[in-house]
Amino acid sequence: MGSNSAMEQTIDKIIKKSEKQVVSDLNDAGLNFKQNLDDSITKLESEYDKILSDGKKEADKIEKQIVGGSDIEARNKQLLALEAAVDRVFTTALEQITNTDRNSDYSNLINSLLQESTKILGTTEVKVYTNAKDKNVVQSSLSSFSGSKLSSEIIDCIGGVKIESKDGAMKFDNTIDAKIERLKPLIRKEIASKFGVKE
Amino acid sequence: MTTKGGVQYSKIAEIKGPLVVVDDVENAAFDELVEIETTEGERRLGKVLEVGNGKAIVQVFEGTTGLSISGTSAKFVGKVMEMPVSKEVLGRVFDGLGRPKDGLPDPIADKFIDINGEPMNPEQREYPKDFIQTGVSVIDGLITLVRGQKLPIFSGSGMSHNLLAAQIARQASVVGTNDDFAVVFAAIGVQYSEAEYFRRSLEESGALKRSVLFLNTADDPAIERIITPRVALTVAEYLAFELGMHVLVILTDMTNYAEALREISAAREEVPGRKGYPGYLYTDLSTIYERAGKLNGRKGSVTQIPILSMPSDDITHPIPDLTGYITEGQIVVGRDLFRQGVYPPINILMSLSRLMKDGIGEGSTREDHAEVANQVYDAYSRAQEVRALAGIVGKAGLTEIDLKYMDVGEVFEKEFLTQATDENRTIEETLAILWKIVSKLPKNEITKIKDKYVDQYYQGK
Amino acid sequence: MTAQGRIVWVSGPAVRADGMSDAKMYETVTVGDSKLVGEVIRLTGDVAFIQVYESTSGLKPGEPVVGTGNPLSVLLGPGIIGQLYDGIQRPLKELSKASGSFIGKGITTTPVDMVKTYHFVPVASNGDEVLPGNVIGTVQETDLIEHSIMVPPNHPGGKISNLVSEGDYNLETELATVEKAGQNVPLKMYHKWPVRKPRPYLKRYDATVPLLTGQRVIDTFFPIAKGGTGSIPGAFGTGKTVTLHQIAKWADSQVVVYIGCGERGNEMTEVLVEFPHLKDPRSGKPLMDRTVLVANTSNMPVAAREASIYTGVTIAEYYRDMGKDVVLVADSTSRWAEALREMSGRLEEMPAEEGYPSYLASRLAEFYERAGRVRAAGSPDRDGSVTLIGAVSPSGGDFTEPVTTHTMRFIKTFWALDAKLAYSRHYPSINWMNSYSGYLGDIAKWWGENISEDWFSIRNEAYGILQREDTLKEIVKLLGPDALPDEEKLILEIARMIKIGLLQQNSFDDVDTYCSPEKQFKLLKLVVDFYKLGQQSLKEGTPLSAIRELPVVTLILKARMNIKDDEMPKLDKLENDMKEQFKNISGVKVTN
Repeated sequence: MGSNSAMEQTIDKIIKKSEKQVVSDLNDAGLNFKQNLDDSITKLESEYDKILSDGKKEADKIEKQIVGGSDIEARNKQLLALEAAVDRVFTTALEQITNTDRNSDYSNLINSLLQESTKILGTTEVKVYTNAKDKNVVQSSLSSFSGSKLSSEIIDCIGGVKIESKDGAMKFDNTIDAKIERLKPLIRKEIASKFGVKE
Repeated sequence: MTTKGGVQYSKIAEIKGPLVVVDDVENAAFDELVEIETTEGERRLGKVLEVGNGKAIVQVFEGTTGLSISGTSAKFVGKVMEMPVSKEVLGRVFDGLGRPKDGLPDPIADKFIDINGEPMNPEQREYPKDFIQTGVSVIDGLITLVRGQKLPIFSGSGMSHNLLAAQIARQASVVGTNDDFAVVFAAIGVQYSEAEYFRRSLEESGALKRSVLFLNTADDPAIERIITPRVALTVAEYLAFELGMHVLVILTDMTNYAEALREISAAREEVPGRKGYPGYLYTDLSTIYERAGKLNGRKGSVTQIPILSMPSDDITHPIPDLTGYITEGQIVVGRDLFRQGVYPPINILMSLSRLMKDGIGEGSTREDHAEVANQVYDAYSRAQEVRALAGIVGKAGLTEIDLKYMDVGEVFEKEFLTQATDENRTIEETLAILWKIVSKLPKNEITKIKDKYVDQYYQGK
Repeated sequence: MTAQGRIVWVSGPAVRADGMSDAKMYETVTVGDSKLVGEVIRLTGDVAFIQVYESTSGLKPGEPVVGTGNPLSVLLGPGIIGQLYDGIQRPLKELSKASGSFIGKGITTTPVDMVKTYHFVPVASNGDEVLPGNVIGTVQETDLIEHSIMVPPNHPGGKISNLVSEGDYNLETELATVEKAGQNVPLKMYHKWPVRKPRPYLKRYDATVPLLTGQRVIDTFFPIAKGGTGSIPGAFGTGKTVTLHQIAKWADSQVVVYIGCGERGNEMTEVLVEFPHLKDPRSGKPLMDRTVLVANTSNMPVAAREASIYTGVTIAEYYRDMGKDVVLVADSTSRWAEALREMSGRLEEMPAEEGYPSYLASRLAEFYERAGRVRAAGSPDRDGSVTLIGAVSPSGGDFTEPVTTHTMRFIKTFWALDAKLAYSRHYPSINWMNSYSGYLGDIAKWWGENISEDWFSIRNEAYGILQREDTLKEIVKLLGPDALPDEEKLILEIARMIKIGLLQQNSFDDVDTYCSPEKQFKLLKLVVDFYKLGQQSLKEGTPLSAIRELPVVTLILKARMNIKDDEMPKLDKLENDMKEQFKNISGVKVTN
């Protein structure tokens, strides 16, 4: 039986060894699991931190954006309001000019407009255009500009004249509309400063 | 100029390319602003390039498409082109000619300024030497930007120059003193998306209210691009020298500008210089770039970062070449580094800041800055040679010291150069990495740094 | 009779005016209502073609053009030194008083302060017969400059009378009258001279004295002589301006004329800020006391850029005539050539290469011909020199472009800047294989007599090493360094020492920025001796690594920064240490 017991002993040993193996394997697995768990926790934590910090960055960004944006928005509203006011002043002023009496002051104005324009074109041999209202005033002024002629064509403007050389190659717009247009930026500045807007 | 202008001439002799030739003109001045009007009442702007013997050659900014000989008239306005300026231009968006593009009214002008500006008197310039921390290591450490400098970015198509310029605009504006700053951005023929990227970037950092944008995008008239940088710089000079602000001007892309100039030159049948660009390209570019600077007795400054894409990445092409002769250095974006995914992909060996020497050192950055930067330049250049050699003889054929230089190259690109687009490094952090690189080398290789600094900062064995 | 015409055509800096039949070629005229300064450059019938030195924005046909009767001239007299002028000798400081921080138009000023008094010491006496060029007295212009008051070259000469006695006078004071053939011509402290006309002299000498610049790669390897010509071409970023500034700072001349011709505004500002604080290494006085600046920056009107070169060289000749060595630095002649090209284009002349006018070469030749070491006209005997150094900015760094190639025909020293060297931060980036000096043989005598008899042979030995390295490098590129025997590897090592320890020079380092000729020679000899000892040591069986690792190597490389000009014994000690260290390793045998 000696051989038998020897065999049993061997089997025992093997079983024990395997048991040990199994136990240590199990232990290892447990450790690994724990390790993994620990790892994931730190990973999770860092992930969480990252999300938080990204979120914070994003929030900062949005805050800056909102603050900056609302500053601009408020300013832009002010600009628009100011512009509306300027427009109102313009409209009123233009209405007043349109309804001005065509008296002697006005005919002086027409005369100086004509003088200015013919000087710029360098000739008095011009064709002159104006609106229906100013026709008579202009016609009576033209006598002092030899060679000038009033066109029968009526143009649409508030007042003043538009002149053209004989061949039509040169034109000069000296209507009140054009004059105001040229001066508009300066007038706007003037009006804005009246509203108390400062640089 | 007097207010004598205003005459409208309708005898058009010729229309070619962007030019309109007007006949029987008796009263026009060189450089005078011109309003072109079509029979349909459409108005375009232009300026006089040449006048005499009854003829005026007018360059039309919005192009001549749709103009006809019989239906076109030209009004000579009696003044040169001017930009209305006031503090209220901040936070506004304009087109390439300086007209509002944001649906708001024209700015109420404090002043009207000739967009061509006048040359700064060199005797009145203040030499630029105030360090600007951009938070980008490679710039702060090796290609330092100073206030009043003109430092272009030389890039190629598709590379990350806009990311970098936007990062500089964001970070440079938040660091430092309480001095007033502003950003003027001029898009010159770039894609809408690129211009939009800048706008958003400024908005996200809350800098939009301190910015002025001029947008001429790819689909806007090409000749307008001649004007865009000039109106932008006129506003910048006003903000800087009248209101005392530190203004950073970004002009992108100057290559489109030069092409518009070439188009006009070709239409005038001028004798071309290199690659068809006019012989006066250098002089013309200088009238833009030289508008950067500081002035004695005035608080503000104009710092310029023009961006230009080098046609086929060729730095000897006339546009980058002539730019480099005028600007105070250049930041060169490298295709290889870009392909490797490095950001910012700056080729430092080809880059340079001429004013760096005066903006760094004791009192502004640190006393060892110049020397450690020199050593890193030298080491990285050696590293490139060793890499080339390794390509031939293999790594095995390299000496021990060669291998150390390989290491330097690695650390340089991975730790110093590479940086996130929202990473804002202090100058101390930047200098620390520079020393880390130098410390990869044995002491006897360090020939450009004084012993006292080596003793203080060297961390190697 | 002066011409009075009207503008008929304007295009940029070019203007045509009719009614100008009385105008002369190169006469200066005032253009337009705002009285801009211009110069007649072509006459066809009664139409004059005028280049305008100021911005023509807003100029109209019909505005008047009036002749002055005089060619473009400079005012020569005390008060020039220390000034910053524009291209037509208007002091920029005075311009800023009239128009503020930016340059306005139509401003007239005098080039120097006409009412400032100087202490005049007469050297001539009443009754003396004087000729053009004779010195009649002197004034102290700055601490560094004794200014001779000369009879102008275009003066008839004659018998002196009414000579004032020693005392303080201003520029408008009549110092004397000179009588010839019954005519009395007054002499003042100043006169005018047309810029396009070289000032006369008695005779010319060969250039045999080196112009020492304190820059090793220049003085030791590619020297320039006093009265010589040199050119420094380089792509952008190669350090052209820094090198030119270094020459302007440290050259051993009495007067420096620095012309910023179509370059950056800040560069002129830098000189203005820096030079008053820098001391001349020989006299200890501020460098500004010997410097004149002419600035026509790139954004200033292009025609005045063309004039600036002539304005500068005429001022240089004037100080030369006093018996002084003058260095003129022009940065950059390419921008001057571009100005020529632009005007030529507007004249619709037939272009030659790259659109440059066909007379580009002759204009360059005329300019460089104004260099030279001369005996000045008149008595007493005075020898002076004008050394001309011109920067060239070749487009794309291409040395075959017209300005570079034509310039090379007329200059004798060529400092070729190299972008590759600059990229690796080897400054000054003067390429030692492409540069040359035609003065080497002529000035070797001076070095032999003043520094060391061995200078020429040692210099050539060092240069030989660099040449051999250049060929060896090709082999290394193909086969790797191991393909070379130790003897040849040593050459690579020595070449590295020459490059780092000699050729490279840090202009921003307080010590290294200037290197005396004695120190240059000692450093050179140290490296060449190291080579000889190394060769011998290798023969005796010492491994190359042991030589390479000698502690003295780093000390030699850093000597340029660590040892000052007045510490020559330290270099002698270094030499002894080197010999000692070689002795110690000579026993080392190759193990294995």
